[in-house]
Amino acid sequence: MESLFLQQTLNGLIIGSIYSLIAIGLTMIFGVMKIANFAHGDYSMVGAYTAVFFVAWVPGWFGWVGSILAAAAVVGVLGVVTERLVFRPVIGRWTDIDVIMVSIGLFILLENLAQLFFGATPRIISDPFKGATVNLGGLSTSVLRLFCLGFSCVTIAVLQIFLNRSKFGIAIRAASQNSFAAQLMGIDINLVYRLTFAVGAALAGIGGVLFGTTFAVHPIMGAMPTLKAFIVTILGGMGNIRGAIFGGFILGVAESLGGNYISMQYQHAIGFFIIILVLLVRPSGLFGAKEGT
Amino acid sequence: MSHRRVIRLCAGLFVAALFFVPQVIEARYILHILVMAGIYTIMTMSWNLLAGYTGQLNLGHAAFFGIGAYTSALTAMNFGISPWLGLLGGGCVAAFFGLLLGFPSLRLSGPYLAITTIGFAEILRLVATNWVELTRGSLGLSGIPLLTPISIGNWTMKFYFERDYYYVVLVAALLTLFIIRRLVQSEFGISLQALRDDEHGAQSIGINTAKYKLAAFTISAFFAGFAGGLFAHFSRLVCPHTMSLHVTFDALTMTMIGGLGSIGGPILGAVALTFLSEWLRVLEGFFKVDIRLVLYGMLLIFTIMFMREGLVGVIKSLKDRFLGFGRASDGGADHD
Amino acid sequence: MKKFFIFVFHAIFLAGFSISAVPVSASEPIKIGILGPFTGSLAFNASEMRKGMELALDGVNSKGGLFGRQVELVFGDTEAKPDKGLAAVKKLVTRDNVLVVGGGYASSVNIATSEFCHYEGCPNVVAIAISPTITARGYDFVFRTSPNSPQFLEGVNEWLEKIKRPKTVAFFMENSDYGRDGQKIWEAQCKKLGAKVLGSFYFEIGSSDFTAPISKLKDLKPDVVFSIASTTEAALIQRQAKELNFVSQWIGVGGQFTEAFFEMTGPVSEYAMGSSLEPTKAMKDPITAAFVNAYKAKFPESRPGIFSSQGYDNLMVIVDAIKRAGEPTGNLVADRKKIRDALKVTDIRLSQGLIQFDETGQVFTVFPSPVQVQLDENCKPDTQIIFPPERAASEYQVPKPWAERRCK
Repeated sequence: MESLFLQQTLNGLIIGSIYSLIAIGLTMIFGVMKIANFAHGDYSMVGAYTAVFFVAWVPGWFGWVGSILAAAAVVGVLGVVTERLVFRPVIGRWTDIDVIMVSIGLFILLENLAQLFFGATPRIISDPFKGATVNLGGLSTSVLRLFCLGFSCVTIAVLQIFLNRSKFGIAIRAASQNSFAAQLMGIDINLVYRLTFAVGAALAGIGGVLFGTTFAVHPIMGAMPTLKAFIVTILGGMGNIRGAIFGGFILGVAESLGGNYISMQYQHAIGFFIIILVLLVRPSGLFGAKEGT
Repeated sequence: MSHRRVIRLCAGLFVAALFFVPQVIEARYILHILVMAGIYTIMTMSWNLLAGYTGQLNLGHAAFFGIGAYTSALTAMNFGISPWLGLLGGGCVAAFFGLLLGFPSLRLSGPYLAITTIGFAEILRLVATNWVELTRGSLGLSGIPLLTPISIGNWTMKFYFERDYYYVVLVAALLTLFIIRRLVQSEFGISLQALRDDEHGAQSIGINTAKYKLAAFTISAFFAGFAGGLFAHFSRLVCPHTMSLHVTFDALTMTMIGGLGSIGGPILGAVALTFLSEWLRVLEGFFKVDIRLVLYGMLLIFTIMFMREGLVGVIKSLKDRFLGFGRASDGGADHD
Repeated sequence: MKKFFIFVFHAIFLAGFSISAVPVSASEPIKIGILGPFTGSLAFNASEMRKGMELALDGVNSKGGLFGRQVELVFGDTEAKPDKGLAAVKKLVTRDNVLVVGGGYASSVNIATSEFCHYEGCPNVVAIAISPTITARGYDFVFRTSPNSPQFLEGVNEWLEKIKRPKTVAFFMENSDYGRDGQKIWEAQCKKLGAKVLGSFYFEIGSSDFTAPISKLKDLKPDVVFSIASTTEAALIQRQAKELNFVSQWIGVGGQFTEAFFEMTGPVSEYAMGSSLEPTKAMKDPITAAFVNAYKAKFPESRPGIFSSQGYDNLMVIVDAIKRAGEPTGNLVADRKKIRDALKVTDIRLSQGLIQFDETGQVFTVFPSPVQVQLDENCKPDTQIIFPPERAASEYQVPKPWAERRCK
């Protein structure tokens, strides 16, 4: 059925937009600091929980939008804290392995702290649109999901403007290309590191709220976004923000259509299949030219 | 007596003492934990070979463990093959998959390799869950046969009790230790470490890094698969969860905390954390809260930040501090 | 040297164990071991089971316990993992020396633990875990106080035959033994009814996004969709069905209709059905009513549902058997055997109904009923028993299209 194909594509684009949002944060951090952060998805989880509590405090539409901002702020701070306490001491000191390992440690820690404090039962962030659905010429979806798609796109656009026009954004891009040269040009590299982490984590936090409202919030919800973000980042080339944007949508649609036409049970494996294939052909990703661009 | 001789004697006595543990400790629950610790030791030693000595970050290690477990279980249950052969078979099949996974490692490194290995393990886990005719799906294979009885002289081991498994696992772990130690201290091992420290440099002096990487993957996978087989016949149940990322993370945490890239590190880590885990279970009864994994996460972070060489490193520096220096020519990196 | 430290390390830990062992004294309490996934993702429901047991425990101990001795529960956390479950049960059986092991929950864990108990000669009374394998292996010491999966699934079969009579069905199951066994059983029933199976889909446990298969289901338009899923996935499926404007009669199983489920779905879950044991709706039975009231009095914040009542019954059956077996003499092997014999002839009325075991140790006198989620005047959802008429408090309602529903 043709409309089934379109419906699935729409579903895929919506999920893909959230993937993109979360992946951009990851790829930015990698681009600037060469850190592959396995705890990245947990930033989304913390963002989602922040929203759970914020929305309970300030209900309604206003509360929900506020919770997105609150999540961005809280997770941004968390990002800076983890950067300073956990990652900064480890960068450049040892091998790649150390950084990945320490982020795995962080992942285990955050996930289980959440379980300890919040319990394992899933929580919900109530849908501000109260489950309203819309019909677009035979295609059906909820207003919430459309909003998520729109919001993600807007956030990505705002980010692009930030990176291209603002002083800090340009500093981040400079550091991403060549951090040594950037320092020579007078950029305070520590500030840039902190900023990158703050922004990257905040993006993940926002993605977490969108994800949590659409689905559910629970302590182990961070694992999936982490893996998806990595898949997207690798697809797009690590450090390549535009690659991450495209990669997210591509992954979302691939999973949706793949789940439909190939197999529902292996849906989660689709992403892995894709990157294994891509990496065998192009070891630095689909769009990645050299590392760190 | 030279220092080395003393150490060798102590080690020898200690190992001999280990064989007498079941005479002293009869509590089956504790023997159960010791067996699990032993199985984990083989897992960590094999992971360490790949990550610590060859510098290849394999986050899909649980897949080899699971493959070994399923293979041994299935051959015993469906074809009546002796579990002893099954253990070897499990190791071999796992080794084959290790070889497969080795190929991507030739072109990938760091996070790229890490994700590929995760993908590999996840795909296999999904296969185990979905190929129900073969694996019974998520319920898993249960009623796996015990190891078939063996007799040494007058003494027969029937494997009804943990005590018999303890001996087998102890021997297996010692064998693994012996083999890996030999490998690591040989030219093979030195080449691995050269490849780990500087791949291009190693290539430039003529080391065929591809060959060594593949070999490391294969050997590492073999031992993990073997451990999986032991697990299958001991716990008598194997399910897809055996291949999950959490199992890999457990092995990883144990190795790091024990000391990556050392011989004793994985052993120390595996034993310490297995016991810590059970000990916390007792505490849990008092505090009604599960902090085990929180502790793991914190320990892992702490280890990498402050005790990069793990417990082994700490012990070494304590030893150096209290027993003085002047043990110059001990041959470098590690030895016992 | 290194090895010396390892040895010392060992020694400290082992010492730690012996210190933490509970010393045995004269007037010992009667110890019953309870297994359950008290940490991890199933922890919430396991704690419901535990609450039911604590209610039972209070009742017994406040009346002087058994033989003048207090009854004590020793909990073992299985973490829903078979190897952890084995470690836990080994501790309970060989170290804590409990008389009986109760509790349960996850089938894959309980298959392993019940086998161990049988070979040890320790009675294992399993709760909640539904895989038929647990009681199908001829293990004399293994009993189950909860219906197994075929019994649950058959709960709707009569209703399907007499009331619904669907022409077309589809399957949308979780990728577990429950889901797969469920499909087999219901597919057989559909054949009997002459209903056509339009499609079968499986999803991985832990999935969040079901829009792809639901879109497909929407395309197929089945009268009934059989869907076995646990709380989180079931709730997400219902919500996403609404988003995609898909209506059908969903039939699942009772385990999904928990408090968390209703919190996540609200009025969206209207019309969903399942095969369940709902003590709060079986208040016609005085014993069930007594349980519900006592539970609400002890745990005012909690809803006495399927897990709490199974927990309650599980412990009560164990206590009853110990009582009939006679005071434990201290000879563990003999005591356990006597309790096993007493368990075989169990005949007691509890919150789920009458409990009797068949030759395999499976309870066969508890009958799950078809329930449907229906909304009250305030749009609050709850499950109602809709069949058979003697037990039903309400009638079956055909699902309405989303636009026509009173509560959105």
